[in-house]
Amino acid sequence: MTLTLERPQPGQADTTTLTPRRSQRRARPEKVAAGLTLVVLVTASVVSLISVDISLPQMIASWSNATRFFDRVGIISFPAPGELLYLTALTVGLVLLGTLFAAVFSVPLAWLAAANTSPGRGWMVFARFLGVAIRAVPDVVLAMVFVLMFSLGTLPGILAIGIHSIGMISKMFADAIEQIDDGPRLAIRAAGATRLQEFFSGVLPQVLPSWVATVLHRNDINLRGSVILGYVGVAGLGLEMSYAFKSLNYSLGLGIAVVIFALCVVMEIVSSAVRTVMLGFAPTRHGIGDRLLRRIGVTGVTADASHHPWTYARIRNAVWGTLAALIVIGSIWICDIKWGDILTFWSYLPETAAKFWPPSFGAYDAPVMLAAMGETIAIALAATILTLLASIVIGSLAARNVAPNPRVRAGFRLVLVTIRGIPEIILAIVLIVVTGLGTQAGTIALAIGGIGLLGKLLADSLEEVRPGPEQALRAAGATRLQVYAGATAPQGMKALIGHSFYMLDTNIRAATILGLVGGGGVGYYLLNAGQGSRYDLVTTIVLMILVTVIMVEGLAVWMRRVFR
Amino acid sequence: MPGLTQPPQAITGPAVAAGPVIAVRGVTKTFGETTALHDVSLTVARGEIVVLLGLSGSGKSTLLRHLDGLDRPDTGTVTVLGATVSRLRGRPLRALRGQVGFVFQQFELVGSLTVLENVLTGALFRVRGPRLGLWGYRRDLQLAALGHLDRVGLLTHAYQRADTLSGGQQQRVGIARALMQNPRILLADEPVASLDPESSAQVMALIREIAIDSGLTVVCSLHQVDLALSWGDRIVGLRHGEVVLDTATQGLSKQNVMEIYGRVTTSTAELGAIETELGTAPDEDGEPDEQGELDLQTFSSARDNRR
Repeated sequence: MTLTLERPQPGQADTTTLTPRRSQRRARPEKVAAGLTLVVLVTASVVSLISVDISLPQMIASWSNATRFFDRVGIISFPAPGELLYLTALTVGLVLLGTLFAAVFSVPLAWLAAANTSPGRGWMVFARFLGVAIRAVPDVVLAMVFVLMFSLGTLPGILAIGIHSIGMISKMFADAIEQIDDGPRLAIRAAGATRLQEFFSGVLPQVLPSWVATVLHRNDINLRGSVILGYVGVAGLGLEMSYAFKSLNYSLGLGIAVVIFALCVVMEIVSSAVRTVMLGFAPTRHGIGDRLLRRIGVTGVTADASHHPWTYARIRNAVWGTLAALIVIGSIWICDIKWGDILTFWSYLPETAAKFWPPSFGAYDAPVMLAAMGETIAIALAATILTLLASIVIGSLAARNVAPNPRVRAGFRLVLVTIRGIPEIILAIVLIVVTGLGTQAGTIALAIGGIGLLGKLLADSLEEVRPGPEQALRAAGATRLQVYAGATAPQGMKALIGHSFYMLDTNIRAATILGLVGGGGVGYYLLNAGQGSRYDLVTTIVLMILVTVIMVEGLAVWMRRVFR
Repeated sequence: MPGLTQPPQAITGPAVAAGPVIAVRGVTKTFGETTALHDVSLTVARGEIVVLLGLSGSGKSTLLRHLDGLDRPDTGTVTVLGATVSRLRGRPLRALRGQVGFVFQQFELVGSLTVLENVLTGALFRVRGPRLGLWGYRRDLQLAALGHLDRVGLLTHAYQRADTLSGGQQQRVGIARALMQNPRILLADEPVASLDPESSAQVMALIREIAIDSGLTVVCSLHQVDLALSWGDRIVGLRHGEVVLDTATQGLSKQNVMEIYGRVTTSTAELGAIETELGTAPDEDGEPDEQGELDLQTFSSARDNRR
């Protein structure tokens, strides 16, 4: 019955034929082992959730704390308009330069890591591993290190954001290169071009739109992450907010938090609009810009073929290009980078490195630190399972083929965008006010923040399932819920497992960071060690995080392979 | 009656200068289990227009790729313009590739670049360093590229995105890109296999015209006997990576070609496949292939002009 109604979908048919089919099924024992691991992980998550001890009655009880707190805060206040504008521009500029730094350095790494451009298999493995390793070091740790080496200013922040982002950007860049049509590249090679020329003329024009989208996406993430960098001394709104909270000026602190939230949502909307245009479709030639151009007499065709005519596409590219260049120049200007630091940096390097090595547990003993790390992992697991449960509901309703009508879908998509806009740190701060210091606040903050990402990924995956089985069930008289349970959800299952591991991976790093503001776990010790100049302890904690993240990454790769 | 693997010298007319520009000697190439080329030998004199004929998988593309140094032989040597291709690396290899234009079945243009930018990539081996956009190219190179676009009849499309063109137009851009190299040899791998009959005729006529005007040596792979007979001066037939036929097209008929394939083919199933793929099987309406019909007139007159 399901087969008769299934129609081949043009787009989908292509992807299935392109995926190389495995000639033999993977051995069953491995699948059993992977299934067991999954069960263990889910059990561990539930146990963690219980251990984190989120009790609703207690939260309601502490609600009085919150009201009392807000009574004391009174109305929230903001910095003076001029200062606010400067801080906002500084934060945006700093984040932008950091992301740009990462984008530039990701290009060679991506070239090495992509199977079709890499000079050799060894280089490929090296570049991919380097990406994972870079990603595993939280940007806060990098910022702590760089604040030590540079005088206070914007450079530590730019470098911390920049280096940390290389991990994700280079991976996405490399994946994009692997998806290009290799024919034009080889045609250019056949015409006698060098490898570098081949890359610029044959690869770059093909990947550019997807690369710009990646960079914009990362820029959003970095803007949200920049708040926490303020806690280790990186200039911008985050630093002002941390000062405000430290001096118990809650009214100002919350005011800045509101500004950051608004800024994040605005950036998210702007970048998603630009991404849609970049990745989208051929220009309609009926937009406002087109009409304007036609009125001033630009038709796109000139009599003299030997000069590049100002076609619509060229004008559009020129305008966007100029705008981007101006924004970058503005960012460099407002960040007031002390270029001299880059020269003096090297002389500090051995001295600073010596402070971080060898690693030690400092004043604590190993069991304390391991327990703290365990707490971080528990927070991450508990948050992931909470996110998963909420995302299944919200993400499903945000999918076109599940939502009862387009308005419901639009509504839930809006919820997801809004949640994505909230920096987790701000959530955590607000929650700490409500629930008090500890693991509860961290877990709930991560769980809520995660919905924005996991919900979106799940909604996108559900919209991509083959519609055939759904139609078949509907034709057989199934209810909406039966169609969802019988056809849509089973098809989206594999994607959900993959996304959940990604979420866990993100949460372990985020859980560390939330510890900095009192969200529990190893982050608290990290901040203390940094502020107390116990850099050998910082190294130990970073190594623990590194090992954990790489293990989760390895587990995720294995799961994806087995459950393909 | 031309025989099997007739020595090529016998067919080079007096108008063609002596001395081979391409010499393939005993080349064997395997990819894993499959043998793509087996002991292939072939020489091509300057100015010759040679068709490589064969089914898909007969080794035509692999042979062409060897001539441009994109593949290296397991055994044997490939000499192009006096240089042993398999020994070249780096700059000398790129210099040789610059002398050899390549036209592909799928055109292989960068769709998001303009037509002019695509043509200019043919000049990359003559400039130092990478280029992005049009600014990077000297004015004289830009004018030359526009000249080549004019030659293929696409000057008015110079600033359009390449992926907005039709297949036939894209292939003509591919030809302009090859011309941008100022090549001495032009290789074409099934240049019209992805085109409709009308565009095919235009593209094939254009290649022949340009070859004769510029005195290019051309090696072009095709799979239709009709087209090969009317278009080329000489046919080299490949089967399972071996040369089974090498003869002038003058006075050769479709039946001759099929007889030769018949002699080396033992299985009737394969012969059937050859008949279908090479386009020698009569159509249902009994008419010859549309393509052959369209082309014959043009190419015969072009050849007559040359002789």
